[in-house]
Amino acid sequence: MDPLLYIFDLIVYIGIFGIVALSLNLEFGFTGLANFGKVAFFLAGAYTYALLSQIGIPFYLCLIAGALVSAVFGLLVSLPALRLRADYLAIVVLTFGEILRLIVKSEDWIAGGDWGISVSRAISLVGASPRVNALVNIGLVYLCLLVCFLLVQLLTNSPYGRVIRAIREDEIAAEALGKNRAKYKAQIFMLGSAMAGVAGGLYAQYLQCILPGMFMPMVTFTVWIMVLLGGPANNKGVLVGAMLIEVFDRGANIAKDYLILPVDPSNLQYILFGALIILVLFYRPQGLLKESSVKTKALELARYERSAAKSKGS
Amino acid sequence: MVTERRGRVKGVIASGIVSRISLVCIPPQTKVTGRFIVEETLLKIREVRKHFGGVYAVDGVNMDVKEGGICGLVGPNGSGKTTLFNTILGLHKPDQGAIYFNGNCINNLAPHQIYKLGLVNVFQLPRVFLQMGVLDNMLVAARGHQGDRLLNSLFWRKGWQEQERGMIEEALDLLELVELGKLAFSPAGELSGGQRKLLELARGLMAEPTLLLLDEPAAGINPVLGKSIFQRLQDFSRNGTTFFIVEHRLEILFEFASWVYVMDKGRTVTQGEPQQVMNDPAFYQAYLGEG
Repeated sequence: MDPLLYIFDLIVYIGIFGIVALSLNLEFGFTGLANFGKVAFFLAGAYTYALLSQIGIPFYLCLIAGALVSAVFGLLVSLPALRLRADYLAIVVLTFGEILRLIVKSEDWIAGGDWGISVSRAISLVGASPRVNALVNIGLVYLCLLVCFLLVQLLTNSPYGRVIRAIREDEIAAEALGKNRAKYKAQIFMLGSAMAGVAGGLYAQYLQCILPGMFMPMVTFTVWIMVLLGGPANNKGVLVGAMLIEVFDRGANIAKDYLILPVDPSNLQYILFGALIILVLFYRPQGLLKESSVKTKALELARYERSAAKSKGS
Repeated sequence: MVTERRGRVKGVIASGIVSRISLVCIPPQTKVTGRFIVEETLLKIREVRKHFGGVYAVDGVNMDVKEGGICGLVGPNGSGKTTLFNTILGLHKPDQGAIYFNGNCINNLAPHQIYKLGLVNVFQLPRVFLQMGVLDNMLVAARGHQGDRLLNSLFWRKGWQEQERGMIEEALDLLELVELGKLAFSPAGELSGGQRKLLELARGLMAEPTLLLLDEPAAGINPVLGKSIFQRLQDFSRNGTTFFIVEHRLEILFEFASWVYVMDKGRTVTQGEPQQVMNDPAFYQAYLGEG
């Protein structure tokens, strides 16, 4: 394979999973919602994109529709699930992901069942080389990543971001301070699901096909490792996490061809991922980058005035 | 509005002046009917019962908290005071009876709806947001922050940032009041147990309550600061905030409260002005037991 194309492919994957990691960070890192069914919303976005693009709808509308469908799924799951304790919420959404995957797998009429369907590229340049096509995809994916990053940065550095962190810290206290926790959690769940839906659409058009086998629970766990490694409640951190995990994944993939192992080489990544989670949780529970504090202009100004007064005083 | 909010706190900081003015002024919520000043009942508790398993933690309680001043609630451990507070706050639904706040029945309201009516609580064990800054803890409690809404936080940033500047000034003043001013920009997780209690008290005041429920505000705080906090609360009460306080430090509470309820085994055993209660044998019986 063309080594440059392999690197371009890696960059696209980092971008797509960076978006999913940002969305999980919004849900888990900032709001404390243990969404173990992330792949369900990724799947919903991918299938919506694939089905709509087949009937000739422009790619940007397909991406938006994918986000909307995933958001609606997010809302529907969140309504009963958010009233549950965190561990039960995790079980409910994990199960939801599997149910959704099994439905598209067994119902051929939706999108070809186990065989899947082909998906057309969002932007295809006639006669362009694979490298150029990969570059176009990088542009599209990173534009979406930029929009998602700015969105979560604005949201988490605002009074709204302060409220969702308060809900994560102590939801009873936040509720007693007038914050409707069910409403905030449902909004975050919808927003996170919409972002995962966009990533799903980008994934489908990049791979030019979708199969139920692409949406195994392992996808969710991989995104969780990205967030835990990079640093929950730090948007830049989870992007670093996404990059490291994707590189690690590829590295392990290459290494398994050269190493003689006492285990089935195809399981090497999973074993290493498991070991990595244990190491991170033991030695760096806050992740590589620690939680970023809420930054608003008014707060920064007050901080500046305080330090200026202090230095004047001394 | 911001100036008004800030003025409220500043007024209390210069408490000496405010106290003198307030003594000759009629509090804003007091109704004047003919020649008589009628105190309005802010919180009415009627025959409230709450049981856990076979035990009635609150067993047919009736109470009236009047507007203005400090109303005390005392009783031995396990007498049902905190359960009653949690029931008022909406954390427990009463099995029987009714609770009225400002004329509205709040039995079936969620805590966030009760907060909107002006009833705010300060918990017995501080429930501070530990991974957030001290000032952020205060700002979460700010009433009517436009930036708390999803769309405003994204698309109306200029509007709420202007509003937040006023709120920060008020929060800093309140933190000064509880002697946490220097720690305003520190993480709340770095505060000691006593400081966390003070932060939660300041956070409660930040919510601009009509009625603030305080569960043992002086516990774990040095006696001098404890008394000074009650003095500040009294100043706030003269400016229109009412306090309903559970406290085991009876010498402080009785000095500042205008009315005291005594609970034992889930029931109200006596009530009255502090001096009256102190002379009531039922009060001693509740604390010291039979005989």
